[in-house]
Amino acid sequence: MRGTRIRLAIALMLAGALASAAMAQVALAQETGSETGSTTDEKVVFTWGSTSEPSSLNPMSGYLAIDFYMWTPTYHMLLDYDKDFSTEPFGGFDAGLVTAIEFSDDLTNFRYTIRDDIVWSDGTPLTAEDVVFTMNLYKFNHAYLPSAYLDLIDGEVRLADENTIEFDTTSPTSLYKGEAPYMYMYIVPKHIYEGLEKPKQYENVPSVGSGPFYIAEYQVGEFIRLERNEYWPGPEPAIDEIIYRIYKNDDALATALRTGELDFVQLTTPNIFNSLLNEENIDTMAGTIPSFSEIGLNSGSAYQEAGDGFTPHGDGHPALTDVNVRRAIRMAINSEELLEKVQLGYGVPGTTIIPPVSVVGARWEPTGDELIAWDLEGANQLLEDSGYIDTDGDGIREMPEGSLEPGRPLEFRYFVRTSEQTSVDAAPFVSEWLSEIGIGTEVEAMTSGQLTEQINAGTFDLFSWGWFPDPEPAGTLSLFRCSERPLDGSSYGNNDAYFCNPEYDALYEQQLTEPDQETRMEIVHEMQRIYYEDAPYSIMWYDALLSAWRSDRFEGWVVQPEPEGDPLEGWSGPGEVWWKLTPVGAAGGNETSGGTGTKGLPAWIWGVAALVVVVGAVVFFARRRRPEDEDV
Amino acid sequence: MGTRRYIFGKVAQAFLTLAFVMVFNFFLFRVIPGDPGALLLRGTSAFNPENVAQIQAELGLDQPLPEQFVTYVESTLTLNFGQSFFLRGQEVKEVLAGRIWPTILLIGTSTIVSAAIGLIIGIYGGWKRGSKFDVGSQGFTLFVYAMPEFWFGILVLMAFAGGIGPFPALFPAGGYETPGADLSGFAHVADVLNHLALPWFVLTIAYLGQYALIMRNSLIDVMNDDFVTTARAKGVREKQVLWRHVVPNAMLPTFTLVLLSLGFIFGGAITIEYVFSYPGLGLLTVQAIDAKDFPLLQGLFLLFSAAVIIANLVADITYSYLDPRVRAG
Repeated sequence: MRGTRIRLAIALMLAGALASAAMAQVALAQETGSETGSTTDEKVVFTWGSTSEPSSLNPMSGYLAIDFYMWTPTYHMLLDYDKDFSTEPFGGFDAGLVTAIEFSDDLTNFRYTIRDDIVWSDGTPLTAEDVVFTMNLYKFNHAYLPSAYLDLIDGEVRLADENTIEFDTTSPTSLYKGEAPYMYMYIVPKHIYEGLEKPKQYENVPSVGSGPFYIAEYQVGEFIRLERNEYWPGPEPAIDEIIYRIYKNDDALATALRTGELDFVQLTTPNIFNSLLNEENIDTMAGTIPSFSEIGLNSGSAYQEAGDGFTPHGDGHPALTDVNVRRAIRMAINSEELLEKVQLGYGVPGTTIIPPVSVVGARWEPTGDELIAWDLEGANQLLEDSGYIDTDGDGIREMPEGSLEPGRPLEFRYFVRTSEQTSVDAAPFVSEWLSEIGIGTEVEAMTSGQLTEQINAGTFDLFSWGWFPDPEPAGTLSLFRCSERPLDGSSYGNNDAYFCNPEYDALYEQQLTEPDQETRMEIVHEMQRIYYEDAPYSIMWYDALLSAWRSDRFEGWVVQPEPEGDPLEGWSGPGEVWWKLTPVGAAGGNETSGGTGTKGLPAWIWGVAALVVVVGAVVFFARRRRPEDEDV
Repeated sequence: MGTRRYIFGKVAQAFLTLAFVMVFNFFLFRVIPGDPGALLLRGTSAFNPENVAQIQAELGLDQPLPEQFVTYVESTLTLNFGQSFFLRGQEVKEVLAGRIWPTILLIGTSTIVSAAIGLIIGIYGGWKRGSKFDVGSQGFTLFVYAMPEFWFGILVLMAFAGGIGPFPALFPAGGYETPGADLSGFAHVADVLNHLALPWFVLTIAYLGQYALIMRNSLIDVMNDDFVTTARAKGVREKQVLWRHVVPNAMLPTFTLVLLSLGFIFGGAITIEYVFSYPGLGLLTVQAIDAKDFPLLQGLFLLFSAAVIIANLVADITYSYLDPRVRAG
């Protein structure tokens, strides 16, 4: 009897396996059964991938770079970024919605004329009312990214006439004159958003878009699919569908590119990117983008004066309140070598808080004596001159007499993030250099959540993290004002190095309201210089965007900025790349991309395999029954 | 009567455990360091105290803990776990539903098949102890048991998706199906199977070692028992000694292992899901922990706990059927 049970158990297991497979298939069939759309052999699909999952496809609440790649083919901005991050000239189909800007002499009243030839993907015309609605929606519902750009607007944005919007500002400003693409925001359809009770929670799939495409489908963790906006009045795209696939690792992405499952990939691992460099039919680009990775120092959370809501808190090392110690640390960090060893040469050595790729004229580049270059000898000398001497001969300097804690060794906690391999990889180099100038470090890796807590509590000395700033400098500069410090140990603040300089804060306000753009940029430069010289951040590098694509599939990339940047023109709305990309060698653009085809064994082989398994199982159990009959 | 009381006791125990897990679930995730609102936005220019406070309000995290707990219990009892934090706007129920079937398809079937193959290898290896088959199969099963599955996964990915050297690039590099392919019927089934093939193969190989080793050891233990000698002395044929007397007794510990493994199916296989970009529940859990996504974590852990508790219950009940001594207490 027992033997029968065992065979029964094994049979049940196999039946269970088949049943769960069958159940999953039925569930799957039900899910996909509701999808619409037809299959056309001529469909041109551009399939690309990376490891990023969107934060949200709703411009009210999305904030990750990947969200923007879904919006650039879908929405218009008011003022679009050109390839060099200046304002795109008005009027073209790759420009924003504004065709003319008028403003009062005192720079407190602005009128934008809105183009009237754009139609939403559901057939509704896009009007100035959509623009007024969107700006007020963002401003009064505190949309995550766009609302900061509307801070200076006094009250509501108004409709001046059918094609014109109007608003006043709380103080004179040059920001809305259109010289720089200041308002980085996508205009959404009023008729979709006005009825929403919680607009930030809106999923926005399928979306109603004004660009050449709209978001048609999103399977979390798998893919996003965009379809053509049939009402798009601009140049006809050669692509019928854009599919973005989410992979979990760069190995799989590179494999999928090699085998033609993907047409384009963005990678984060330099050595996998390197493995694609000399592959046939694959082109690569290491572009520069607005992004940096820094080592932040606790420049005085426990020692700064109380006031304006700030209460001193934490237990940061008192030596880090000394600008000479911070500068010595900056001098000890070799950005070039870090870039070479950790990033395998991809990126740009770091200096100031405005990356090389930003709005035209915004970046200040330290030169000559301004540059705090890698100089271990100089760093040692600076510490020596400032009174930090190794009195006990253990290789670690101590704080001088008359300082906050005389005799305390320069031993710092140095926190890195487990979720960012490069921050972990850089730590041994940085620790070694610091040891050479008589500074000890205790490296600890932790999650982003733990590090956030430590930063807010001020219970750290050094940490490694990074920022993805907008190309417009105002947002980045605002992060480092006194008011942005974590205020009391439990609340949150952007200013994680606790930098506080009233002169810097005053300059920030001044640049916002400076009527002349050139003068404004001079103020922006001065703010960068102050921050750089004070050295609360040692910026290790500006990150590179690692792109690779099949050269035999599509051509017509629009690189932003040229010559080496983002081939998918990631800072735009609408992006002209989406109608310039055409299949290689297809004049009419009617060749099917490999990305659309399925890969794997043909269905009949699976059918035969299933048959073999079933027949095999039947034979196995039939044979096993015989001895049972002869039981004793 | 005894059986009924035994089953009733076990079911009641399962319900109590589930209730405890539900309460524990709430507090467990709130002791992880980091605030979800801050984690969502850190590193972007949207990260400021107003936005963080607004997210906390939207997510109900500004409420006192007891109030949050009452809301949690009410919503959990109605299986309404709320909306995911990091997949903003998506219902937890829907997110889980989207991942359950791919997880069952991959991990469920590979667990069952690897158990079946592993048991057979263990039975024949143990029975013919010291034979060529035993030595070979033991080497193989020890190797696959010790082998890191992600390493094997990457090799298989490179060989059969990338097509290195003599290996043909037969299968896709990742995913669950071909997006936008608009397939239906058997073509769609074949597409899903093509995506499933490599991760399924890796998991089946990786899992079978433990079943084979435990079955073999258990079988060898039983083979030395007196009743086996008695059966042989009675002249029972060797095959029948094996299948009627040895295997049923040796199966008891292995059967528990198999049933408990089934309970862990929903936990997914994080490393393999990662290597093959497979949208299973394992990876979703990692993402949810990273983002401190309370509603999603609560939904996931309740699902995992319920599955394990039910598997335990089934194991207890089945065990009492296979071995009446358990029922007798």
